[in-house]
Amino acid sequence: MSQPPLIDLSGITRIYTVGSEEVRALDGVSFQVARGEFVAVVGQSGSGKSTLMNILGCLDTPTSGRYAIRGEDVRGLADDALADLRNREIGFVFQTFQLLPRSTALANVELPLVYRGVPRRERRERARRALEAVGLGNRTHHRPNELSGGQRQRVAVARALVGEPSLLLADEPTGNLDSATGEEMMRLFAELHGRGHTILLVTHEPRLAARCPRAVRLSDGKVVADGPGREVAALGAAPAAGAA
Amino acid sequence: MEMRLRRAGAELTEGVRIALQSLIGARLRSALTTLGIVIGVTTVIAIVAIIQGLNASFESQIQVLGAHTLYVDKWKWLNVEGDWWLYRNRKAIGTPELKAILRESAVATAVSPMIGTKAPVSRGEKELTGVNVNGASEQYLATGGGSVRAGRFLVEGDVDMGRAVTVLGADVADALFPAASPESVVGQRVVVSGRPFAVVGVMDRRGRFLGIPLDNNVLVPYTTFGRVFGSKRSIAIAVSAEPDKLGALEDELTGILRQVRRVPPGKPDDFTLNRQEQFLRTYRSLTAALYGVAVGIGLITLVVGGIGIMNIMLVSVHERTREIGVRRALGARRRTILLQFLVESALVAALGGAVGTALGLAAAQLVALLSPLAAAVTPSAVGVGLGFSALTGVVFGSWPAWRAANLDPVEALRYE
Repeated sequence: MSQPPLIDLSGITRIYTVGSEEVRALDGVSFQVARGEFVAVVGQSGSGKSTLMNILGCLDTPTSGRYAIRGEDVRGLADDALADLRNREIGFVFQTFQLLPRSTALANVELPLVYRGVPRRERRERARRALEAVGLGNRTHHRPNELSGGQRQRVAVARALVGEPSLLLADEPTGNLDSATGEEMMRLFAELHGRGHTILLVTHEPRLAARCPRAVRLSDGKVVADGPGREVAALGAAPAAGAA
Repeated sequence: MEMRLRRAGAELTEGVRIALQSLIGARLRSALTTLGIVIGVTTVIAIVAIIQGLNASFESQIQVLGAHTLYVDKWKWLNVEGDWWLYRNRKAIGTPELKAILRESAVATAVSPMIGTKAPVSRGEKELTGVNVNGASEQYLATGGGSVRAGRFLVEGDVDMGRAVTVLGADVADALFPAASPESVVGQRVVVSGRPFAVVGVMDRRGRFLGIPLDNNVLVPYTTFGRVFGSKRSIAIAVSAEPDKLGALEDELTGILRQVRRVPPGKPDDFTLNRQEQFLRTYRSLTAALYGVAVGIGLITLVVGGIGIMNIMLVSVHERTREIGVRRALGARRRTILLQFLVESALVAALGGAVGTALGLAAAQLVALLSPLAAAVTPSAVGVGLGFSALTGVVFGSWPAWRAANLDPVEALRYE
């Protein structure tokens, strides 16, 4: 218990100003994630989950509230420090893969290590091992357009893992995949969870949230449920019943 | 510290890699982008090559005039003010001045009168017309008058006695004694302006000075010259000094000449002390203007080329917004992105500079082949060309790079 939680959110509020109007994308969000957890953040579009994901990923900072990652308060960090924090602590997996189209799978996976100053030879080796870990050891020199959607997302996962970050942050990772490939991807995440990785899965599909040990439901920028994935997903499945 | 250095190194090589990738990925666009720079650098390198070629040829030609020699003359060289009548009305310079200098100058190391006219020179049936017949003393060579190839030069006795001896210029020797070795020419006889002369030597070839051939002449003792052609004409006197004594020589000669020519105090000199430097100065002012034009053209084209690069880099940043977002998400700092785009624009520009340099050199060689203009390029010109084009890339790439670096990562990732 001496160790602080990996992710510690308390009273996170994010207000956007659009023209003269203020939009409260997040309104007092608080929860914690311990090392080794596999948590889904679920909610419909407009619920604030994208904003939350940006804040969790240190791409954006909250208007108010406290966000600490491994006990380190993110507030007030300079832009460079945030970039270093992303590089060290966060592994991103995006819905649209976000691979660099002109670079090979290997070069894509190497990228986080480039920004960390890892020597070339070591970089190569670690990138190759990361690709092997996601089952793409034989695709290292292919470019993204020579890979299938599922393979591309695996490259993205390898890139997210190569720097051994504290947190794997996946934003609708199955959104651009067919259901069979999406299923494969979920199995990969479960496997990574089994190996001890901490995973935060942002999704609008209760179906996926149901497969995570824990889920946090967001609605209108507030946490409305936090519990075992299956229960939280079930809550969302019958919103009419809850309202009535 | 080591970590930071290594990181900076990795980012730089990554920047170069990305730049090369995007240059190769958009070959036509890269080529068109650099066209402005290519044209600019080509022009400047070609102009500079030609100017430097001219300089080299001029500087070798100017050696004909001794660097440490003053030429006492009635006329001023390169007189561009148009007051020729002032010089024309001056009293002729003659033997009294020469004798005064020989007698009184302490700084002079060599003194030789220089006088000349055109006259026919013949040997048997062969006659050359319009040969320069130059009267000089035995010290003529020491004032920068060239060197002897075969035989000997004039000696004091030739001058004192007014002997009918001559040293032939290389062209005259070749024309009068075709296929004969210079050594075999020594001892032969020639006729200069109707009088027989013994050939005592042959001069080394000297080439041309400002287009005038220097080897179409014969040298005779100035005393002999006076007897043959008359001694009324004004002469010039070449006076040499040690390299660092030219100023002292000038003062001394002015004093001696004013005295012997009886110039009253307060009146201007009625003679001129000419020197090699006058040619150099005039020449340099001409080439300075040419350089100015070259630099002007270069600057204008670099600015035009730079704007082209800025334009294409803005497009490139725009197209790669998502890539920038991804890189930022993966831990690239702002200045990493900045560096990446700066490297790219500098590389494009330097590439244009390299192509331009090659084309410029080729153009200069072509000019050298097709015209009498020489072309020479110093490595520094190439370095300056490349350096300036890379600098243009950095300067004009900095605004696009700054925009790229300051994109909001969230917005950039979401950009379609």
